[in-house]
Amino acid sequence: MRNLLNFLLKYNHWFLFVLLEVISLTLLFRFNNYQGSAFFTSANYLAGIVYEASSQVTRYFDLTEVNKDLTARNVELEIEVERLSQALEQYTQDTTGVANLRKEALKDYVLYDARVVNNSITHPNNFITIDKGEADGIRPEMGVVCGNGVVGIVYLTGKHHAIVLPVLNSKSSISCKIKRTSYFGFLKWEGGSSQYAYVKDMPRHSEFSLGDTIVTSGHSAVFPAGIPVGTVDDMEDSHDGLSYLLKVKLFTDFARLNNVRVLGSFNGTEQAQLEDSIHSMQP
Amino acid sequence: MQYIIRLEWFIILVLLQVLVLNHIHFEQYATPLFYIYFLLKIDSDNSRKGLMLWAFSLGLCIDIFSNTPGLNAATAVCTAFCRPWILRLFSLRDITDNFEPGMYQMGFASFFRYTIVLVLLHAFILNILDTFSLANMPTLLLKIASDTIITLIFILCVDSVRRKK
Repeated sequence: MRNLLNFLLKYNHWFLFVLLEVISLTLLFRFNNYQGSAFFTSANYLAGIVYEASSQVTRYFDLTEVNKDLTARNVELEIEVERLSQALEQYTQDTTGVANLRKEALKDYVLYDARVVNNSITHPNNFITIDKGEADGIRPEMGVVCGNGVVGIVYLTGKHHAIVLPVLNSKSSISCKIKRTSYFGFLKWEGGSSQYAYVKDMPRHSEFSLGDTIVTSGHSAVFPAGIPVGTVDDMEDSHDGLSYLLKVKLFTDFARLNNVRVLGSFNGTEQAQLEDSIHSMQP
Repeated sequence: MQYIIRLEWFIILVLLQVLVLNHIHFEQYATPLFYIYFLLKIDSDNSRKGLMLWAFSLGLCIDIFSNTPGLNAATAVCTAFCRPWILRLFSLRDITDNFEPGMYQMGFASFFRYTIVLVLLHAFILNILDTFSLANMPTLLLKIASDTIITLIFILCVDSVRRKK
């Protein structure tokens, strides 16, 4: 007994070492599927404050670039508006028609503006922190977009901050389709460059050509149909040879993300419940 | 008094790491892991347990800010655990009393060896835990090597500046 006690006393630093390592590794491995662990991430209140203060300073640095982007986007949109209103004029002379059409498209969604306060693009699993949280109406599973295209899906929410699972995370999977022909697959990122991702499970008989635009499919309530994702850059066979794998150049520049919009859906829960009930019915 | 100074260093290094250094990806790879300078400089007579507790809180603070709970904590604890052995290995035999590891106290060659071994160990564990696969071996090795080199440069620069004071 005395020897055992001596042994324990002599090597007690080993026990502390093992204890601390176990705590750390438990945190590390449980974070990936443990939704409640928002405390140990930057959705935490204190970390949120520090990041917000730092982004107050740093967000001015790339205003020139943001401005240039916005101007380009503005011009694009103006041309689009011009073209659409001309097309619309041919179909209807009724001026209330335009207003109704716009209401129809965003009828099911409410938009929240948010600012990115922390962002990474080089890890195998990246996360984005935004400065809006539960108190502002943000809930997990909401879609996030920016001016250029799709960004990701809200993962964890704190009171005033939320963590977004962007396309640049191996767990992210977003349903999307080829705009021209409507064949659909899902968008995955496999590490490497932050400008490219892959569309998987594209059927072998699908028609597309390099340079085609990829948009969200609207099959889930997270994103409405037609939000731009990227353009087809390259194609290859999938590993099992049953489908195509499309390399997509993303429209969103994740390295320079600043202002984003969160899409809250009115009908999402109903659709999710329906789909869940189907999955639980199957053996 | 000594604790207050140490706490100041702690806060400064955490903020420096999460606000500046974590955003450096030199040539897509090298990220300075400068915060372990804190662990390198703790006096040699501190117990291994105290060292590990400091390392754990340091790592956890970094983790909270960079959304990687446990990653830096696990790595820093491991580095702290190995530090006494490595320090004894590279410090001169006749130094038995308390000293703060540094270029001035240990001489450049000893300090350089002591630093490179600990930094390499730290970068190795951190990157292995982070990617958690050996599938992309060349990238992993390149990342470990580049992290080590840039961290080493940072530590040697800062230590040589502090020595002159």
